[in-house]
Amino acid sequence: MDEILIAIEVAYATPEQQVIVALDMPEGTTVEQAIQASGLLNRFPEISATDLKVGIFGSVCKLDQPLTQADRVEIYRPLIHDPKEARRQRAVKR
Amino acid sequence: MIDQINAILPQTQCRQCGFQGCRPYAEAIASGIADINQCPPGGNEGVIELAHLLGVSPKLLNPQFGQHKPKSVAFIIEQDCIGCVKCIAACPVDAILGAAKFMHTVITSECTGCELCVAPCPVDCIIMVPLPVENEQSLSPVQKYARTQLAKRRYDAHCLRKEKQQVEKLERAKQKRAQLVKMQLQSSQQQ
Repeated sequence: MDEILIAIEVAYATPEQQVIVALDMPEGTTVEQAIQASGLLNRFPEISATDLKVGIFGSVCKLDQPLTQADRVEIYRPLIHDPKEARRQRAVKR
Repeated sequence: MIDQINAILPQTQCRQCGFQGCRPYAEAIASGIADINQCPPGGNEGVIELAHLLGVSPKLLNPQFGQHKPKSVAFIIEQDCIGCVKCIAACPVDAILGAAKFMHTVITSECTGCELCVAPCPVDCIIMVPLPVENEQSLSPVQKYARTQLAKRRYDAHCLRKEKQQVEKLERAKQKRAQLVKMQLQSSQQQ
């Protein structure tokens, strides 16, 4: 019996380089499994494998979230500045 | 016919024509609501192609809808990004990767240069960077076609996802209302 495959993507982006890996995975594949299969953790050693922050199309989700057809798994990076602190500094400047 | 018109449009999805995307504009041209010279990214070249297809005489781009500019892509100044997701919500082709309180990054190969993300940014951290002119000129028609097809596919997928989310939202609201009615009924019976 053939497994049902779903087409998904796994993406990671820095200002210099952005990568989208397209994968066909069995139905029920989780976010974590998709990231493992994408090979992005090896390509970008700076991604913390133990503290992954991930989501699907702009909303954060858990690593065990199962994927559906056409989902794009996204690996996130932290902000450079704390927004509240940045705002405080902007306010002081004014 | 709509598909043929849409195939000529640059798939920037920038809405400068006054419609919600390239396909809606194509529909408007086909039904005679819109003129063929309302697409600044397509430029005069695009207008001529449309005129050919429709068998009408070509005209110049209507400046009321904007000027033809060299292709640019959006770029986020990371020092300033506060992770507010407003640009992500505005992007018609899902070209920005990020989530609330995480860094947002433009995926350059996906960005159509529509500029729709620029205005919503509350800290003005998105700038438009023109692509190197020589690279653009050296693109073969096949490469250009591949790029517009990618943008079209992304836009279609984006619209489909938004539609689905809307349906799910309405469904949840309906269920909530049904529950509320049931509860009200129960409490009135008890009284």
